Amino acid sequence: MTPAISIRNLTKSYEDTIALSGVDITIGDGEFFGLLGPNGAGKTTTINILTGLVRKNEGDTEIFGRDTVTDYRFTRSQVGISAQEFTQDWFFPLDRLLYFQAGYYGIPKEKAKDRVEELLSKLGLVAKRKARLRQLSGGMKRRFQIAKALVHDPKIIILDEPTAGVDVELRHELWDYFRELHKKGKTILLTTHYIEEAEMLCDKVAIIDKGRVIKEGTPKELTSQLGKAGITINVSDPGEELESCLKNFTYTQEDGRIHFTTREPEEALPDIINALTRHGCHIQRVVTTKSSLEDVFLSLTGKGINE
Amino acid sequence: MNWVGLWTLTSREVGRFFAVYRQTIIPGFISSILYILIFGFTLERRISTIDGIPYTMFIIPGLIMMNTLTNASSNSSSSMLQMKLLGQLPDLLQAPLSSFEISMAYIVGGTVRGTVNGLLILLVGITLGGISVIQPFATVGFIILVSVAFSSIGFLLGQLADTWDQLATLQNFLLTPLSFLGGIFYSIKMLPDWAQTASFYNPIYYMINGLRFTILGVSDSPPMTSFIVALIMTIGFFLAAVLLMESGKKIKQ
Repeated sequence: MTPAISIRNLTKSYEDTIALSGVDITIGDGEFFGLLGPNGAGKTTTINILTGLVRKNEGDTEIFGRDTVTDYRFTRSQVGISAQEFTQDWFFPLDRLLYFQAGYYGIPKEKAKDRVEELLSKLGLVAKRKARLRQLSGGMKRRFQIAKALVHDPKIIILDEPTAGVDVELRHELWDYFRELHKKGKTILLTTHYIEEAEMLCDKVAIIDKGRVIKEGTPKELTSQLGKAGITINVSDPGEELESCLKNFTYTQEDGRIHFTTREPEEALPDIINALTRHGCHIQRVVTTKSSLEDVFLSLTGKGINE
Repeated sequence: MNWVGLWTLTSREVGRFFAVYRQTIIPGFISSILYILIFGFTLERRISTIDGIPYTMFIIPGLIMMNTLTNASSNSSSSMLQMKLLGQLPDLLQAPLSSFEISMAYIVGGTVRGTVNGLLILLVGITLGGISVIQPFATVGFIILVSVAFSSIGFLLGQLADTWDQLATLQNFLLTPLSFLGGIFYSIKMLPDWAQTASFYNPIYYMINGLRFTILGVSDSPPMTSFIVALIMTIGFFLAAVLLMESGKKIKQ
C-alpha cells in the first residue's frame, strides 16, 4: 500500500548550519506518527520541506506516492497543517478567516459552510466567530489554528506542537479530539515536546536529533528495547538458598532488597512473586518501574527532550 | 489553475483595503481636494493657464496619477510585508496555489485600490475642478494600466523588504519625489533645459502626461510615447514581480 508520507534521504543546510542530514521517514495511511526531538533537531524543517515552505537540498518527499514539488497541487490539498507559531490577522473575523482558508484549497464559501460551522462548534469557537484573532486567549488561538488545518478536510493532518502553552484541561480535550480524528482514518503527524503525549497517542514514533532519525518504532518497542524497567522487592528473610530459587532472573541483591531488571515488569512480576513465595520469603513491598520514551530519548541522545 | 483560490485571495486583498477605507481611500480623496483648493485656486491667480488649460484643471490629471500609483504600490507592498511579518504567508505557500496565482491576487488587489482612488479624484476633478474628460475610456484604461504597473512594483518591493522602514524608504525617497518631479503641478516647458532633459528619464512624467492627454487633450510628451512607456513598465514590472515570487527569494528558505 502506498504510504501517506514518504521522506527519503532528506538533506537541508542553511549557509554553514546543517539542519537535516539524510532523514528517512515512512508513515502509513491512517497511522498516528510522532516525531520527537529537542529544539533545533530538524522536526519543523522536515515538516516545512514536506509542505513547500522550505526548499530541500537533496532527497525525496512524497505524499501518497506523489512528489511534493512537481505535484504540489495534489500533495498540498491532502495536508492540513497546524503550525506551532500563531498566525495573526488585524482585519477579518474568525469565520471569515476559515472561509478564506477553505478557498485557498479550492473550496467555495457555500460548500465550506457546513464544515466551518462544524469546526467552530467542535472546537468551542462559536461565541467568538466574529472576534478578531488578537481578542482570543492563547488556548482559543490554538483551537483556531487546529480548525484552520482541518477546514478543507485533509487526509493528512500535521500537528506541530499542538498543545504547546495550553492548560491541562484543554490539552486533554485536544488529545480526545486527535484520537477521534485518528479513528476516522486520518493520518496524523505529530511533533511534540511532551513525551507522554506521543506515548499516549502515537502508533509509531521517530526520534530525531541533529538532523537525523536515530530510532523509530512503536512506543512499546522503543521502551522495551532501550528503556530501563525493573521491579524492586523488599523481603524480610531472604535466606541463603535464594540464589538457586531466582536463577532464571536477572537481579541484584542488597540485604532484603532485591532489584530485578526486566523490560516487561508486568509480565515478569507473577513469576518472580511465585518464585519468592515458594522459597518462603515474606514480601514486604513491591515497586515496579516502567521505562518511558523519556528514558529512551535520554539513553539515545544523552540529554532530555527539553534540554 | 486554482480559480477558487485565486478568487478567494483576490477578494481578501480587496476586502482588506475596503475594511480600512479611512486609511486607504479617504486620505487621497481629502488631500486631492486640498491640493485643488490650495494650490489650484491660489496659484491660478499667478499662473492662469498652461497650454490654454486653466491651472486648476491642469493639475488634476497629475493628482489622479499620484493617487493612483501611490495607492496601487502601497497596497500590494504593505499587504505582502504584513503577511510576512504576521506569519500569514505560510497559509498561502502551503496551500495548492501557484506563485502566479498568489502574484495575480496581490497585483489585482493593488490595481483595484489604485483604480478606485484614481477614479475618485477624477470625480473630484469633474465636480470641483469643472473638467470634462475628452477620452473617458482611454482615461479609465490608462488609470488601470498604471495601477497594474505600480501594483506590480509594490508587490516586488513587498517581497524584497524585511521591515516597514525599508518599505517607507523606497516610498519616500523614490516614488514620491519621482511623482512630484513628473510634472503634477507644472509643465516641463516651465523648467530649465537640464531639468527638462532629466524629466525624460522619469517614467512617471510619461504617465502623468499620458493621462493628461486623455483627459484634457494636452501633453508635454507625445501620447503614443506615454502609452508605450506605461505599457513597457507594466509588462516589465509584472513579469519581475511574478518571477521573483516564483523564485521564492526572500519568501522561502
